[in-house]
Amino acid sequence: MKRVTKMIVSTLLAASLAVGLSACGNSSGTNSSSGGKNNNTAPKEEKITLSFWGISTAEPEKSEMEKIIKEWNDNNPNIQIEYSGTENNAYKTKIKTAIAAGEAPDIMYSWTGGFAQPFVEAGKILNLDEYLTDETKDQMLPGALDNITYDGKVYGITYGQMAGALYVNTELFDQYQVKIPTTFSELMTAVDTFNQNGVKPMITGMKDLWPGMWIYDMIALRESGSQLSLDALNGKASFTDPAFVNAADKIQQLVNAGAFGNGILGMTQDEAEAEFNQGKVAMLFGGNWMASKMESDSSMVKGKIKAVRFPASEDGKGDPTEYVGGGSDAMLVSADTKYKEQAVKAATYLAKAQAEQGYLSGINLPTWKYDSLDQSQINPLAKEIMDNIITGAVGSVPVWDIYLNGADAKTHQDLVAEVFANQITPEQFGAQMQDKVNGN
Amino acid sequence: MQKLLGDKKAIFLFVFPTFLVFTIIIILPIFFSGYYSLLEWDGFSNGKFIGFGNYVDLFVNNTDGFTKGVKNSIVLAIVSVGIQLPLSLLLALILARGVKFEKLYRTVYFIPVIISTVVIGQLWMKIYHPNYGMLNIILNKIGLGFLANEWLGNTQTALGAVFVALLWQYVGYHMLLMYASAKSISTEIYEAAKIDGANEPTLALKITIPLMKPILRVCVVFSVIGSFKAFDLIYVLTNGGPLHATEVPTTIMYTSIFAKYQYGYGSAMAIFIIVECLVATVIIQRMFGKDPVN
Amino acid sequence: MESNVMTVPQMNPKSKFNLKKAGKVLLSLALAAYAIIQVYPLFWLLLFSFKDNNEIFGGNVLGLPEIWRWSNYTSALTTGDVGIYFINSIIVTAVTILLSSVMLAATSYAIVRMYWKLNNLFLTYFLIGLMVPIHATLLPLFVILRNMHMLNTYWSLIIPYVAFALPMGIFILTGFLNSIPRELEEAACIDGCSIYKIFGKIIIPLLRPALATVAIFTYMNTWNELMFANTFINSEKLKTLTVGIMSLAGQHTTDWGPIGAGLVIATIPTLLIYVLLSDQVQKSLIVGSVKG
Repeated sequence: MKRVTKMIVSTLLAASLAVGLSACGNSSGTNSSSGGKNNNTAPKEEKITLSFWGISTAEPEKSEMEKIIKEWNDNNPNIQIEYSGTENNAYKTKIKTAIAAGEAPDIMYSWTGGFAQPFVEAGKILNLDEYLTDETKDQMLPGALDNITYDGKVYGITYGQMAGALYVNTELFDQYQVKIPTTFSELMTAVDTFNQNGVKPMITGMKDLWPGMWIYDMIALRESGSQLSLDALNGKASFTDPAFVNAADKIQQLVNAGAFGNGILGMTQDEAEAEFNQGKVAMLFGGNWMASKMESDSSMVKGKIKAVRFPASEDGKGDPTEYVGGGSDAMLVSADTKYKEQAVKAATYLAKAQAEQGYLSGINLPTWKYDSLDQSQINPLAKEIMDNIITGAVGSVPVWDIYLNGADAKTHQDLVAEVFANQITPEQFGAQMQDKVNGN
Repeated sequence: MQKLLGDKKAIFLFVFPTFLVFTIIIILPIFFSGYYSLLEWDGFSNGKFIGFGNYVDLFVNNTDGFTKGVKNSIVLAIVSVGIQLPLSLLLALILARGVKFEKLYRTVYFIPVIISTVVIGQLWMKIYHPNYGMLNIILNKIGLGFLANEWLGNTQTALGAVFVALLWQYVGYHMLLMYASAKSISTEIYEAAKIDGANEPTLALKITIPLMKPILRVCVVFSVIGSFKAFDLIYVLTNGGPLHATEVPTTIMYTSIFAKYQYGYGSAMAIFIIVECLVATVIIQRMFGKDPVN
Repeated sequence: MESNVMTVPQMNPKSKFNLKKAGKVLLSLALAAYAIIQVYPLFWLLLFSFKDNNEIFGGNVLGLPEIWRWSNYTSALTTGDVGIYFINSIIVTAVTILLSSVMLAATSYAIVRMYWKLNNLFLTYFLIGLMVPIHATLLPLFVILRNMHMLNTYWSLIIPYVAFALPMGIFILTGFLNSIPRELEEAACIDGCSIYKIFGKIIIPLLRPALATVAIFTYMNTWNELMFANTFINSEKLKTLTVGIMSLAGQHTTDWGPIGAGLVIATIPTLLIYVLLSDQVQKSLIVGSVKG
């Protein structure tokens, strides 16, 4: 028995030595596979390769990304970008694992806010303050870098922002002569009218948790105003404030009035959007990207949808122009990259190019100024959101699962689901948010 | 023979490469996880050593309803052994004794196992869908409309609905193992028994099943461990929801590690799952009795 | 059903025959009905692969597609380099099955048949592998593979796949070997064989049905694996087929039709391999039972 233990232990030890037991490995520098072959032949200007990981894997994003990278590689023969795309969900696992193991690529895609925060706090991401010029910042929209700024320092370059919009099926609104709601009581009236006529008033894919949370965060913003929302998220104000409790109450008013019909908790957002795009549902509150599907050729509601601001709360403190959203997609540069300057330059290029491409195809709203773009090519619904919801807004708050860090974001989503399911009262919601997220 | 089978050099040659690969790829990560499980660690920054704090959170403070997840997985293990395995055994015995289209059935019964879980998940979501789901449509058609339900969205029914899908998916898996074993039993034994006037069920009970004991044990162990580790289909169908009704240890672990940045805490769950499986395996082995190795 | 027949003692031969026949018919019906249930997913997947999101989500869930959208197959085949993905999957899977089969057979044989003190201990040691929740190993494995300089190579997939195939295989093979009488080997020994000859000439053929069964499972786990394949491989040229198919899922919205088409393409080889290997199981079983 002893001999076995000894054998196992010694093998383990040998194996550990062979592979090295440290998790947060020292960055070995293998992440940037520099074109070593060319070192001798081109001594003046070293040819380098920057690794870049992103999530553009499906069409049309994939081809667009390839085009963007090809343009850079053609113009910068000595700084080549090597792209590796991974599917959205798998990417989250992959990038976290790679960063944890000290194998981050030179440039990487990341969501802003709470997603990138642990990387930044662990010192894995390059602080861009000394690299970003005023000239670059001037090309971006005001507030574009807010969600990727931690402790007053900028850690990434955003390119896409999100905005919540209330999509209304004008055909159904016309048919039943319903006024497009601008206040919460009008929304409740619309819900009742549609229900009486056997049309599903709203739909949301609660199985994915975030869609219902978007609705809550939107109503909370109407109730509280952007300052109070941000204060609560930063722990400077309490979620037990009547504004947040009232917002939960309004969710339950909607649910109890049958606004979402049956089967909210078990439906994915894919299923919900498909039902909306079949013209069976009157309203859908969601992100701007949903517009591209509504305007696609297979959609049965193409040209019939209008994107409007979410109805105002009569008794709320928020301004009716405020929206949930904010800069959400960003390019980060690894703190371990061997070519800091070049990587930042390339990341800036990638961000700007994607901002333009994304806007044209209706996938993203840009965080960069877009005056120079050919406006006629832009997806009409995306333009509507940009012009009617974002332009002229007095403020915005990121959806909370982006703003909060991982565990708190999950807690918030779970609690909102419990509100939707009538499992907790609005007061309990406020108290538990305060207890679990702000910790008192 | 004795000498040949005691050849130490041959034993080393046969076992060591397997041992090495296995140790580096599977055992070493367990040691990593064991170490992580003692840390309060997000996976990136420097972890803080907190001893068994994570384990205390798991069971004493029950922070994330982990005990409920464990309970769910135990229920799954019980229904797997109690319903799924008998069904697999029945099919295996029937097919092995020879029926028309034996080969076709053997192929077809295995199909759910080879189809990607993504597809199986999508299919069951369609079956359970509250509006256009097959199950509700059938219930309405046969006059049982009052039973129609929001199967995956209702906290009362979601766990059962997920279990049915899980049990169904792996019937063919165990059937294949049992079939191979039943088929390898010499036909002469049957002939002899038949002359003595034994009927088919008696044959199965008295001869086939006892001879299949080693593989049955394998199936029970796989089934129980598989239940404790079940993840893929649950993740696709409900991801632990609605309102955590269908959480199992692995879904909570996955969320902790990859969504909540609680690497240390999630590692503690991993270690618990390993220990849980180990204990269950030892108990099952005891129940089946020792195999006559050597 | 047949038990009823047999327990009724005073039955004249003719009616006994009829009852037995009725039982057989009922049994056949039950088997056929179950077969339909089991084959349905495949049929459904096939229809799914020709639909668009509107049909898949509610418009037409169960019926035939309104239009047969061959374009789903075109987009599945033209997004990324499916040909290369396919070859990668074949290489990784084939090497994994070959390597693991040899290792499994040798180790299982040594554990069950050979004389050494630690066989039971090693058996238990290998079984621990069955119990590891795979997601928890991702980061440690990433670190290990990096330090072995294997990341972003075929080996970064093959080695873990082989390792994870070992515990299940050893468990099945040792169970199988335990139920095989050892006379055959002893007879061979009288003829003066070396241990390696016994292993190669007698044990491997005897183990063929069990090895083929294990190979089916190894094949499925390897062919469909996503998490390692997504995380350990960066290069487009090394991606596997499953990863390529799931890449069709969009950042915000997903066209499920092309994914269905991709999954059909990925399932066909699986089906073929399964039929091939289980025939192998069948054949060797029959040969084996004649001998034994």
